[in-house]
Amino acid sequence: MPLPARLLRREVLPFLASFAVLALGALAIDGLLHLFGLLWIGRWLGIPGVLMIIGSVAYSLRKRKLIQRGHPATLLRWHEALAWFGSLLVLVHAGVHFNAILGWLAVGAMLVNVASGLTGKFLLDRARRRMEEARQRMRERGLTDEELEERLYWDSLTFDAVKQWRVVHFPITLAFAVLATAHIVAIFLFWGWK
Amino acid sequence: MKKRPVLLIVIALNLVVLVALAFVYPHLMVSPGPLVKGHADLTTDCFACHAAWRGASPGRCIECHAVADVGLRTTKGVPIATGTIKGSFHQDLIEQDCMACHSDHQGPKLTKRSRKPFSHGLLNVDVRDRCSSCHAAPKDTVHRDLQVECGQCHQDRAWKPAHFDHAILAPATLDRCESCHNAPTDRLHRQIQGNCKSCHQTEAWKPATFEHDKYFVLDRDHDAPCDTCHKNNDYRRYTCYGCHEHSLAKIREEHVEEGIQNFENCVECHRDPRVEPEKGRGRERGGREKSGRERD
Repeated sequence: MPLPARLLRREVLPFLASFAVLALGALAIDGLLHLFGLLWIGRWLGIPGVLMIIGSVAYSLRKRKLIQRGHPATLLRWHEALAWFGSLLVLVHAGVHFNAILGWLAVGAMLVNVASGLTGKFLLDRARRRMEEARQRMRERGLTDEELEERLYWDSLTFDAVKQWRVVHFPITLAFAVLATAHIVAIFLFWGWK
Repeated sequence: MKKRPVLLIVIALNLVVLVALAFVYPHLMVSPGPLVKGHADLTTDCFACHAAWRGASPGRCIECHAVADVGLRTTKGVPIATGTIKGSFHQDLIEQDCMACHSDHQGPKLTKRSRKPFSHGLLNVDVRDRCSSCHAAPKDTVHRDLQVECGQCHQDRAWKPAHFDHAILAPATLDRCESCHNAPTDRLHRQIQGNCKSCHQTEAWKPATFEHDKYFVLDRDHDAPCDTCHKNNDYRRYTCYGCHEHSLAKIREEHVEEGIQNFENCVECHRDPRVEPEKGRGRERGGREKSGRERD
C-alpha cells in the first residue's frame, strides 16, 4: 500500500505549499507594486487584511459556542480562506521594510499563527487518520482494547505532540491580536489621516 | 491541557512587557525610522511633532521654525551669516505645508522613499519664473552671454534635457559660432576660417547645405586645398587660375579658338572635369555670349 507517497502528496506537500505560496505570493505582489510604483496600495492593504482576519474569527466563536449561527464545517473553510488571504495582504502591507519593532512582532506572531493553523489543517488530520487506520487494523487482528492502547502508546504521544500546535494556535492568536492592536493604535495615534 | 494556563500566562506577561516597551522605547517599537540629525533630541518625544490621532502638522513645525526665518536665522534666533538657498524660497511657497517636502523619519534605510523631492510647482509664480533668485547661472561659454531666463531652454524638473534655440541669442553672439562651438578639426574644416552658417543651419549640424559636387566635382586632379580656388576663405567666389595648370592666357587661347568668348565663369560649362562639355551646350551658351557682348 503506497501510503507514505500518498501522505506526502496529500498532506505534507499541501502544508508546505500553502506556506510557500503565502510567502511567494506576498513577495510577488510586493514586487509588482514596486515595479509599477504603486507602493501606496501596499500601505492600505493592512486594513482589508486585518478585516479578513477578524472575519475569520467567526469560526472560533462558533466553535466555542459564543455564537450559534453558521455551520461549523463551512465556517472552518471560511476561517482557513479568510485567515490565509488576510495574512497574505498583511504580509504585502508589511513588505520587506525593517521599521518599527512592534509591527514586525505582529507579523511574526501572525506567521506562527498561520503555521499552527496549517499544521492543524494538514498534519493533525494526517496523524489522526493514521491512528484510526492502525487502531482498525489491530482490532481486525483481534487485539483487546488494553493491548491496543499499549501498542499505540508512542503514537498517542506523538499525536499529542502534534496536537500541541493546535493548543498554541489560541495563545499565539492572542499575542497576534494584542501586537496588531498595539500597532494599529500606534498608527491611528501618530499617522496624519489626510 | 494542564500546560495551557501556564502558556497563556507566559504569553500574556510577554505581551504586557512588549506593550510597556512601546511606551518606554517608542522610537524603536513604533517609530518608522530615526529622526533627522537636527531633531535627535526629540527621538523619544513623539508628541513634540505629532498631535494625538491627527498626526504631524505644519503648525507644530512652525512653532520652532518661523517661516520668515528659514534659511536666515536659526531656531535659536542666531542670524545665518551667508544667505542660503533655503532662505530664498521658503518665504515664497504657495502654501506652508512642511510635510510636502520634508519627512523627519528618514524611512527604511534601504529606500529612503519617505523623503519627497522638492517641486518648483510649490513656488509662487513670480519666484518660479525668476530662477536666478535661487540658482546661479553657469559661467561656461554657452551660458556666459545669455540674458534670458533659464526656463527658455530648461525644464524645472531637471537641468537636462534642455531645448536650446539659437533665436534667443543676440545677433552679435549668433554670428560668432566659435564663441560656443569648437570648429571640427577634420581636413575639410581645418582649412575653413569663415562662418559655420555658410554651410550649416542653427537647428542642426546635419544636414549641411553645402554639396561641392553640385557646383564642381572635385576629381583626383582637383583634390586641392580649398584656398587654391577660394582665396581668402571667401567661398562665395572661386578662381580656376590658382594652379599652374590653368592660366588666363592659356584658357582664353583655347576658348577663343573654339569661338567661345564668355569663358570667365568656368563652372557654367565645366561642372565635372571628367566630362567634356557638349558642343551643343557650348553653342547654347551663345545666347549668353551674346548677353556677354551686350555687357561689353
